[in-house]
Amino acid sequence: MAEPVRSRALRTVAGRAVYFDDEGFFWDPDDWTEAAAEELARESGMTRLDDLRWRVIRFLRSYYLYHGRAPLNRELKAGTELSLLELERLFPDGIKLGARRLAGLPNPRTCLD
Amino acid sequence: MTERIVYLDNAATTFPKPPGVLQGMVETYARIGVSPGRGNHDLATQAGDLVDATRARVARFFGAPDPTRVIFGANATDALNTVIGGLVRPGDHVVATRLDHNSVLRPLHHLAGTGVITWDLAPFDDGGFVDPDAVAALLRPNTRAVVMTHASNVLGTVQPVAEIARRCAERGVPLVVDAAQSAGLVPIDMAALGISAVAFTGHKSLYGPSGIGGLVVMPGLDVATTRFGGTGMDSTSLTHSQSWPLRLEAGTLNLMGVIGLSLGMDFVERQGVEALHAREMALLARLRDGLSGHPGITLHGARDAGADPARHVPVLSVNVAGIHPQDVGAILDGDFGIAVRVGVHCAPLVHRDLGTADRGAVRFSLGAFTTAEEIDLAIAAMHVIAGTVSS
Repeated sequence: MAEPVRSRALRTVAGRAVYFDDEGFFWDPDDWTEAAAEELARESGMTRLDDLRWRVIRFLRSYYLYHGRAPLNRELKAGTELSLLELERLFPDGIKLGARRLAGLPNPRTCLD
Repeated sequence: MTERIVYLDNAATTFPKPPGVLQGMVETYARIGVSPGRGNHDLATQAGDLVDATRARVARFFGAPDPTRVIFGANATDALNTVIGGLVRPGDHVVATRLDHNSVLRPLHHLAGTGVITWDLAPFDDGGFVDPDAVAALLRPNTRAVVMTHASNVLGTVQPVAEIARRCAERGVPLVVDAAQSAGLVPIDMAALGISAVAFTGHKSLYGPSGIGGLVVMPGLDVATTRFGGTGMDSTSLTHSQSWPLRLEAGTLNLMGVIGLSLGMDFVERQGVEALHAREMALLARLRDGLSGHPGITLHGARDAGADPARHVPVLSVNVAGIHPQDVGAILDGDFGIAVRVGVHCAPLVHRDLGTADRGAVRFSLGAFTTAEEIDLAIAAMHVIAGTVSS
């Protein structure tokens, strides 16, 4: 029986070679840059990250960098002043694979790895 | 912030606990919270009496004749490790199922990976049930045990353990049942069903705290000691006690947990296992019916739960088209105050067979305190999510 192994791959984003996991999350949150977020957003089908989306991304990053973890669901709602349904619609890939991934937060692989 | 929490993650841990359980734990522990069965002071004797009484209660509850063969541990996973490790010898073969939780799969995978055993897995059908003949077909001359779940923690299907036990008995193979999801919801009479050992946990449908569970072993099944230490008996010997239950218990028991387990079981017995199950299955049918009509919602299992509730526990896993299950769980929690479990539920092979292994699913699981109003809130929330995202 095969043992599941979380894999990573090196790819160049916004001119820098960076490791991503198998779901496209930054392997190391410190590798994140605004330019990389913009490029990943374009890959997701967005022409650009507008002010509202940047507000979400900046809240996620600042919260993560201060607390060392992603915000609770209710904190995400309060911090962005958006419902989670609105957040889901705001990013083509949703909250986890959209907002959180573009913000460079770790992959929340709860009960998946 | 949503004020009210609708808690539908009872298959992980029942919450809240019945009135009186937590208070009773604190009061009893404050009175006799010492090392049970150690020393000769009265407090130790009283604590030991409480533990013995709880062993007797557990034995009666599971239809086992010998309370000394009730072994306390941390949870079902702990108990399964105890029984699996104490049963198998190099060269043995073990059968499990693709419905099993990692509490069964991982110990067996480890033993197979280190060359101790070989193992096979019985499949489940489209309804989520294991065919007893499929289990029988996997038995070999060197099969040491069949270890399997009683009720799937993903699909909620209750497995035909009596029929499987009969097939095992014909070949002289003990059946070890993981009752993590069924104990307290499905009557388990080990003697009548022909089950050799049951692993249970206290923090699910027995309404005790986390950190307490155990193993019930029928007479005639030999489970070797695999952990060693103090028992309060035979202390001059460096050999671990071989009398039951001490042969499988090392170190001071979780007395607080034993107290809570007993109080939780008292609640279950006063309510009645069948009554609790019937009430929760009626609510599950309400949930299933409320979600089944939406084209954006896929239901896994529970197909015949309404027609045959006796073969199910109140668990329903779903997916919403176009949205990651983790996002569904976050939205349910953040926007609607509804707590569910997302992921693969520590049952990876079930999700592989369902085709949901990459992202998992959203699991609703009901408890004794779930209400029809809460189910209706969950249905409404799911319709909003599925309608909004897929529109």
